[in-house]
Amino acid sequence: MAMGKRLLVNKPAEESFYASPMYDFLYPFRPVGNQWLPEYIIFVCAVIVRCTIGLGPYSGKGSPPLYGDFEAQRHWMEITQHLPLSKWYWYDLQYWGLDYPPLTAFHSYLLGLIGSFFNPSWFALEKSRGFESPDNGLKTYMRSTVIISDILFYFPAVIYFTKWLGRYRNQSPIGQSIAASAILFQPSLMLIDHGHFQYNSVMLGLTAYAINNLLDEYYAMAAVCFVLSICFKQMALYYAPIFFAYLLSRSLLFPKFNIARLTVIAFATLATFAIIFAPLYFLGGGLKNIHQCIHRIFPFARGIFEDKVANFWCVTNVFVKYKERFTIQQLQLYSLIATVTGFLPAMIMTLLHPKKHLLPYVLIACSMSFFLFSFQVHEKTILIPLLPITLLYSSTDWNVLSLVSWINNVALFTLWPLLKKDGLHLQYAVSFLLSNWLIGNFSFITPRFLPKSLTPGPSISSINSDYRRRSLLPYNVVWKSFIIGTYIAMGFYHFLDQFVAPPSKYPDLWVLLNCAVGFICFSIFWLWSYYKIFTSGSKSMKDL
Amino acid sequence: MKGDRSRQNMAVTKKPKLKKNDEPKKVLKTAATEKGEGSKRYSLWNFWISTLFLKLLLIPDYFSTDFDVHRNWLAITNKLPISEWYYEHTSQWTLDYPPFFAYFEWFLSQFVPKSVRDDGCLDIVEIGKFGLPTIVFQRLTVIFSEILLFVILQIYINTTKLSERSQSFVVASSIVLSPGFLIIDHIHFQYNGFLFAILIGSIVAAKNKRYILCAVLYTTAICFKHIFLYLAPCYFVFLLRAYVLNVNNFKFKSYKDFLFLIRWANLLKLATVVVGIFTICFLPFAHQMPQVLSRLFPFSRGLTHAYWAPNFWALYSFMDKILTTVMLKLPYVHTFATKFIKPPLIPQNIKEINERLAANNNGSKGLVQDVFFVILPQIPPKLTFILTIFYQVLAVLPLLFDPSFKRFVGSLTLCGLASFLFGWHVHEKAIMLVIIPFTFLVGFDRRLLVPFMLVASAGYVSLYPLLYKGQDFFIKTLYTYVWCIIYFAAFRKTTKISSSVERRIFFLDRLALTYIFSLLPIVTVLQILDEVKWRYSFLQKFEFLGLMIYSVYCSLGIISSWFALSWLYNFDELLWQ
Repeated sequence: MAMGKRLLVNKPAEESFYASPMYDFLYPFRPVGNQWLPEYIIFVCAVIVRCTIGLGPYSGKGSPPLYGDFEAQRHWMEITQHLPLSKWYWYDLQYWGLDYPPLTAFHSYLLGLIGSFFNPSWFALEKSRGFESPDNGLKTYMRSTVIISDILFYFPAVIYFTKWLGRYRNQSPIGQSIAASAILFQPSLMLIDHGHFQYNSVMLGLTAYAINNLLDEYYAMAAVCFVLSICFKQMALYYAPIFFAYLLSRSLLFPKFNIARLTVIAFATLATFAIIFAPLYFLGGGLKNIHQCIHRIFPFARGIFEDKVANFWCVTNVFVKYKERFTIQQLQLYSLIATVTGFLPAMIMTLLHPKKHLLPYVLIACSMSFFLFSFQVHEKTILIPLLPITLLYSSTDWNVLSLVSWINNVALFTLWPLLKKDGLHLQYAVSFLLSNWLIGNFSFITPRFLPKSLTPGPSISSINSDYRRRSLLPYNVVWKSFIIGTYIAMGFYHFLDQFVAPPSKYPDLWVLLNCAVGFICFSIFWLWSYYKIFTSGSKSMKDL
Repeated sequence: MKGDRSRQNMAVTKKPKLKKNDEPKKVLKTAATEKGEGSKRYSLWNFWISTLFLKLLLIPDYFSTDFDVHRNWLAITNKLPISEWYYEHTSQWTLDYPPFFAYFEWFLSQFVPKSVRDDGCLDIVEIGKFGLPTIVFQRLTVIFSEILLFVILQIYINTTKLSERSQSFVVASSIVLSPGFLIIDHIHFQYNGFLFAILIGSIVAAKNKRYILCAVLYTTAICFKHIFLYLAPCYFVFLLRAYVLNVNNFKFKSYKDFLFLIRWANLLKLATVVVGIFTICFLPFAHQMPQVLSRLFPFSRGLTHAYWAPNFWALYSFMDKILTTVMLKLPYVHTFATKFIKPPLIPQNIKEINERLAANNNGSKGLVQDVFFVILPQIPPKLTFILTIFYQVLAVLPLLFDPSFKRFVGSLTLCGLASFLFGWHVHEKAIMLVIIPFTFLVGFDRRLLVPFMLVASAGYVSLYPLLYKGQDFFIKTLYTYVWCIIYFAAFRKTTKISSSVERRIFFLDRLALTYIFSLLPIVTVLQILDEVKWRYSFLQKFEFLGLMIYSVYCSLGIISSWFALSWLYNFDELLWQ
């Protein structure tokens, strides 16, 4: 009986990514003595891939006068170290004025100081605008700061998450490592952070820490981490309704009314905010500065969308010209209503039913509705829904894994116009192929006529040689054909983009096509996350 | 497909039923894993794919002047008639590889597409002007030519016995993933993966006792890259003893019997193929051999390279630097030394030291190819030649008595080490000549593992100065680090524990481990110092200090590895049974 029970626990957890190349690589480390190794190996390999992606160009390289996100980050390092705190949010706002919360500013300050130790001319005030050193010194330094930030924030959070789940489910260490690698090799984040150049991994890592703390039931710590995440990039607010509802419900309704817990959480939240904003107040000229900071962070004066993005407003703009028909205030109101309606069911569900295994799904539903319906969304913002989505790679349900892998590819696809502008063609293609190949999505390419040693497929693991691994596609035929259809559409888009010039009347037609495909896929995935929320209420973390 | 689905459903919904079904399945599964060793495919396919992705991402990375060298050769072989290949000198990067490599470049140049041609890939100019298309094209030629390495190692795996297959898989995969090839070929730019594939082919042929093939492949390898000549004594003796001589049936009755000592047919076959290949290689250049040879063997270069390869001469130069400083600071050391060593071997007095020092520093440091020692005796090329030959003969002699594969790779490794440690103008890249044969050897005994770890880690780290740019720092260190972790563990698992009594000296093992572990902090500190050296004048004064630390520290590791291996090779009879 006892043995049967253990088998039950072990069996399903072992199956995800069975016979994929990742499984094959890590198989030799199954013996107990070697089990500590795969974690480090994956860690180092993920860093190496990030470094090699970083060899490519960055956004705005050699394109004056405004350059791109790389220059923005460099510029912030420059102004934060040369100007007093009171000027940070005021200085020459036309040229990449600081528009992220204070933690980003502090982060830039620290990195700027260290960078100036290596070479002050990288960050000389005013003079260093658009600096590009001939020996790539600045680029190398900036790239390594992203890598180190990534290693400090994102990597441990992800590995902790997979280990926690693995221990909870009694999964083998190999299974945990495979899930961790699937998450760490997510192409979109790698390309945006290490190719295009941003520090999203810090925000996402802090949010992942907050999720880990929720799993561990350290609610105050979760609140602190989440506030830090917001204070790094305000986009983390996309998760806020869920964290709010979860913490509230955990302290007021489940398991019982617990005012002490609520007080501690509230205190932790406020204290963290206070500590982060206090320097602005005390060193930087009081409330006026804080007001300016908040004004900079939330640019409501800008339009409902700027570049083309795969959300509701941009795509339906083809039919209804919002910017001409409505004023900005009206649009703000409409987008607010749409967003709130979008995430409200998930929030209510969290309030009434705060279960750990639902967390990824409610986070997806909430952040995705922000992405689809809120005001001023960038294409890069898809990274925020992608965090909880990618964490689902630790699931053991084939259907979930399939959808996660699919939506990851869609998200990468919607980033293509941006990456193309940056000149990251090669990196885009390679990271798409690599991430899919590792989790076994290309295992369907198995020419059987080749000699045994030349057939692609598992080579070190003792998997039966006639075992056929399938690509990650759901079992349901409708889903399957839909997903294959979207892949064909994406391929077709790339064909058009490469070989056919868009009609001169609509130069953005191809980009819009990209957005439309992305929008359809994201909204369907969003609906699916709601479906999962309402059908898997009674399940547990074991069958996440 | 259906099966998967039902299994998944079962796992979720029909838990009680699963319990019954699972018992026999489990039994089957364990039986399968027990048989599993045989059913594993040990294919290098996945390794090729994964490194292919990495290599593609490395395309925009830094490349050295070797890139322009090879581009120039593409241009020369494509544009000029064969008779002018070895005379062309518009660019300073003249063709100095043997003809097979020139043919190979000619072959590659046939595939240059028009866009790359327009980019300036095939222009014979003094300094190449080219852009991204040329870089992509040449990087791709390296990636594709390296497939040969995977193919040959796959053949090696497939031809080993089932029981040894997991070990040979570790050997093969460690070679294809070697940080050496990644650094030298895919970043620095050369075709070593392809060239070593041919050499490895000859080693595999030797293992399978296909001597003619072994000779053919080795001769071909020499005709591609003459650095492989360093291993020639070993191949010569091995083929002589194993294939040509007939020692077992030899009974001395009269001097006439010596005729039967030699298998004349075999000798004829061997001579025919070797001479044949050399003829194919050099025939088009027969009337210009002196010119070709002068290109291949430029003896005008100095004892050490600008960056000292981590060999014996690095330690020698280092000693010279130390002694100079000491004698200038504390003159009585010199007076004391002159009591034992007489002047031609040591400077007459302090004044002469200063004179020599001044002559050494006289402005043209970068241009002077010759290395000039201040205190220690000068090293003539002849001496390096004699030392190399001496140690190679020592390494080759046992092979004359015991031409087994184990001995063969052992003596290959020692030949490589002898030429690396004592050779004239050795490049740090030549360490691959040691590491590759050693990889084949290390599986035979656990005690060989420590010398192997020493030479592999020190050898790969000594390649780092090739990639001096900061952007490669993480890539080169992390890749080597992860390779060492994986393969040191894997070799430990697959090597046979020595049949003889465990006579390992634990203290030395620990010392070696400490040595290996301190490589990483040293490399990191040196990199940081290099980045901030403009700040501190004392760091600028010792500009070459970083490189000196690299070569001295690495040479310590390689020399101790040589000691350890020589000891095991010459004095441990049980290992070679």
